[in-house]
Amino acid sequence: MTMTTTVALENMKYHKSKNILTGIAILLTTFLLLVIPTVGYGIIEAQNAAVNKTYPTWHVLFREVDKDTVEKLAAHHDIEVWGLRSDAGMMYLEDADVSMISVDEKGAELYRIELISGNLPEQEDEIVVSEGILEALGQQGTIGSRITVPYQIIRDGSLDYVQEREFRICGFLGDNETAIAQQTFVALVSEDFIISEVTEEKITYRFLFQVNDTGQFTTDGMEDVIKRIAEQFGIPQNMININQDYLGANYVDPAVIPAIAAIMLVVVLASILTIYSIYYVSMNQRIPEFGRLKAMGATKRQIRQIVLREGLWVAAGAIPVGLLLGTAVSKALLIKTTDFAMEENEFLQVLQEVVKTGEAPLYRWQIYLLTIAVTLCSVYLSLVKLMNMAARVSEVEAMRFHDSGTKGRNKRKGYEYLTVGRLAIRNLSGNKKKSGITVFSMAVTGVLLMVVSTVISCANPRESTNSSIVGQYEISPVIDNYNKEHPERKWTNIQQDNPLDETLRTQMESLHGVVRVDAFTKVYVTGEVFEEYQGISGIPEEYAGEIENGIIEGSVTYEELKSGDKMIVESTLLHWYPELEVGSTLNVTVYDGLRTYEKEFEIAAIGDYRNGLTNYNYLIMAKEAADRLCENNSTGYFHVIANEDYDPELERALKELVGSSGRLEMNTWKAEYEMWKTTMALISGACYAFLGILAVISVMNLINTMINSVHMRKKELGVIQAIGMSDRQLAKMLQMEGLFYTFSTLAVAIGLGSLLGYPLFLYAKNTGMFEVSTYHYPWAAALIISVTLLLVQVGLALGIAKSVKKDPLIERIRFND
Amino acid sequence: MNKETAIILELDNLVKYYGSGDNLVRAVDHTSLQIERGKFTAIVGRSGSGKSTLLHLIGGLDRPDEGRVLIEGKDIFSLKGDRLAQFRRKKIGFIFQDYNLIPALNVWENVVLPLGLDNRKVNRQEVEQILKKIGIEDKKSAMPNVLSGGQKQRTAIARALVTKPAIILADEPTGNLDSQTELEVISLLKKCVQDFGQTLVMITHDETIAQMADRIIAIEDGRAVN
Repeated sequence: MTMTTTVALENMKYHKSKNILTGIAILLTTFLLLVIPTVGYGIIEAQNAAVNKTYPTWHVLFREVDKDTVEKLAAHHDIEVWGLRSDAGMMYLEDADVSMISVDEKGAELYRIELISGNLPEQEDEIVVSEGILEALGQQGTIGSRITVPYQIIRDGSLDYVQEREFRICGFLGDNETAIAQQTFVALVSEDFIISEVTEEKITYRFLFQVNDTGQFTTDGMEDVIKRIAEQFGIPQNMININQDYLGANYVDPAVIPAIAAIMLVVVLASILTIYSIYYVSMNQRIPEFGRLKAMGATKRQIRQIVLREGLWVAAGAIPVGLLLGTAVSKALLIKTTDFAMEENEFLQVLQEVVKTGEAPLYRWQIYLLTIAVTLCSVYLSLVKLMNMAARVSEVEAMRFHDSGTKGRNKRKGYEYLTVGRLAIRNLSGNKKKSGITVFSMAVTGVLLMVVSTVISCANPRESTNSSIVGQYEISPVIDNYNKEHPERKWTNIQQDNPLDETLRTQMESLHGVVRVDAFTKVYVTGEVFEEYQGISGIPEEYAGEIENGIIEGSVTYEELKSGDKMIVESTLLHWYPELEVGSTLNVTVYDGLRTYEKEFEIAAIGDYRNGLTNYNYLIMAKEAADRLCENNSTGYFHVIANEDYDPELERALKELVGSSGRLEMNTWKAEYEMWKTTMALISGACYAFLGILAVISVMNLINTMINSVHMRKKELGVIQAIGMSDRQLAKMLQMEGLFYTFSTLAVAIGLGSLLGYPLFLYAKNTGMFEVSTYHYPWAAALIISVTLLLVQVGLALGIAKSVKKDPLIERIRFND
Repeated sequence: MNKETAIILELDNLVKYYGSGDNLVRAVDHTSLQIERGKFTAIVGRSGSGKSTLLHLIGGLDRPDEGRVLIEGKDIFSLKGDRLAQFRRKKIGFIFQDYNLIPALNVWENVVLPLGLDNRKVNRQEVEQILKKIGIEDKKSAMPNVLSGGQKQRTAIARALVTKPAIILADEPTGNLDSQTELEVISLLKKCVQDFGQTLVMITHDETIAQMADRIIAIEDGRAVN
């Protein structure tokens, strides 16, 4: 072993307590650096594995493609594998819904449709069913048996009347748990069957295919190819369905890597600060040591090496422990994350299974290598400046060092008399730089905590819920525009016989706990700029203030909106139709029951509103004006405003009303709230766990600073005690010094954190993150940070004071580095 | 003054051993002695004779294995923890060989520190008087790192005098000083003790200095031989 290695090793043992602290900081850094990418990639990999197990394997599906186009598409050089699917119709059985589709062999493969017995149907009367379907039909059979099936065929895009037909079973499909739980099944029929029902000219296909992926590695690249093909064949945007999950599972989403890298960068910065600060604080105490080495003939290079190797020895001990801990926690964390989702969902079940069986590779040697490299780099970067500082120490300076507690100052105006408090102030101001570095490095984590908490506290489940639903109960008619069997569900028919009428409203308003019922109007229009139906939301006068306040461009009052010629466009619509402008005219066709007519509107303003208010209808008018557009009852929603957010009695009463109509459905504030609560709990849990570990790293710093400041002054404190400082006064002085660090850290962390949190809130609001709408100061986080830091510090000061007392006074006075 | 009140310090069969077996060091070995109020007593002995340990026991900085230390009739080791600290700051003043000034405090603050610890008011005039007498009244704002050895020790002496303790314990106070300064400091210390009517117990291995004392106690192998 070389001299430098030996000295470094001995130094490491000698400065044990400091190196244990550094070791813990390095250990935690390693741990975080391993866990973050491992769990990050683990989740992605497990999802991918689950996607590959459950999702169809086609990359994209073009809807409503005719036979001609199918032939041309099939010859395209960018299309590797293709298959066809046609939708025949539906069986609406008493307890189950069965889709009837036809697929060709490749289509079945791309959809992962695997028969457990028999063949795909070829003859007009052949059908593939499952046990579940037979049970729902109340019939029995094996291959070759004949069954009678009631079905509605899809004709011209709508479901026709129910008819019955006899089929011969030619094969069986299995039933998965989700299908059984939800009672939704798929039956396969032949193309000939569809042709017999709708004629060959009218049959349309879903053309599914995999893109030739040579040279494409990212999802974006794949999507570009898909869009190009669609353009070549004139396939409109809304007829393209990209299998995003499958693509995401097999190609890299360019957005994931920077996110993980950014989080890791935060960890690296926090640990560099902490490790640097821990070494810096103890470096003062070790200046004479390096001076002596120099006096004995050590070169600058050797001293640098001694400092570096000591750090590396500590890292060598800490990194493996961090890796082991990270390895153990990663798997547990991944299982916990997927366990969170308890719903009966096939995909989630497969996901859990994949995680538990370890089918997706969780541990990758590349991540381990990266973790080790990044941690060592953090240690090196933390040490660079200190290595140079140690190397620059001059022999003379080192020897003189003992008495130079206030190096550089000859005189200072003093206090007339001293108290314990003033003594503490003197001790702290004696080394402003050291105090500053400690405070700064601890505050950085605090600032991060505050900034993240700001967003999380703004993402309040209650507010997100209030934003997504108006009132406590939202009642609307069941709408199904494409089902001949249920013409009463077609919107134009609903308008003519709307269950949301005054009688129902009066009934609801008479229920105990209901304050009022607000009716919102919904009118469908199509227009020259819109490809599909757009909804006009007629909002009642009670919300006039909200409507006026939400305007972000142009200006219009609610009174003016009542005229009926003006409307506000919700800003979301501009994503699809950026050409919509304030002041321009919108020519639309209004659908009112059986009649349609043309109407001209002026876009008076552009506004930004919560989804609860618009119900995703992005053209906004005054309710009375919207009502005038229709002769029929065009009420789209009843929003029940209740005394309490959740009142089981009232909910039951409303459910009864809704149920008795048979044509209504209800969404509740409570259900939305539960959804938001679960989502936010998951996100904030993950964020706080991450920040919590960062906080532990920086608490190492506080511990180090306090222990060091006492260790360095062991003799000095002994002398002060000899001349009369009581143990109580000593404890009080150490407490005050600790409180200084605590309060300075809190001031910087909470002050700066609060300032920086606001811009992030604005960003979250503008990008619609978590439906954030109102700024909330993160009081809870500020309080938790303050209380935790105070408790840690007070406990620490007590512990240190106690440990100081352990040595007899005379030992402390004699103590000499 | 009767004999009871004249005795300010009494050591009663004091024992302090370090180590065990072959390594047993009898630092203080059944020592008993009495010291009178207002006297300058020098404790002399060779290096390792146990004189420093004796002084530390007298000051309550270390605990004896056996025996008692009575200051003004009070057994100091009957006091526990903070009570001992309070007693020490009221009754005992320390002067150390390596001065032990607090580096973060200037001269004035170092001097008034014991008063602050005892929650006593600073009588500015009195402190100024001590500083003047000691000869460092122009160094009040100076930090310890710019003081010479003599100035540092004068500051330490002022610090010991300021609380008007019953007894001042000095552990080789001139050990780090050159001979010229040494004499100055000792003369000054003696004069102050006289002027302020205080009792001084000083450890030294220097015969010349010992000769300036009212009484000399020699220590050999942990025992007072005189």
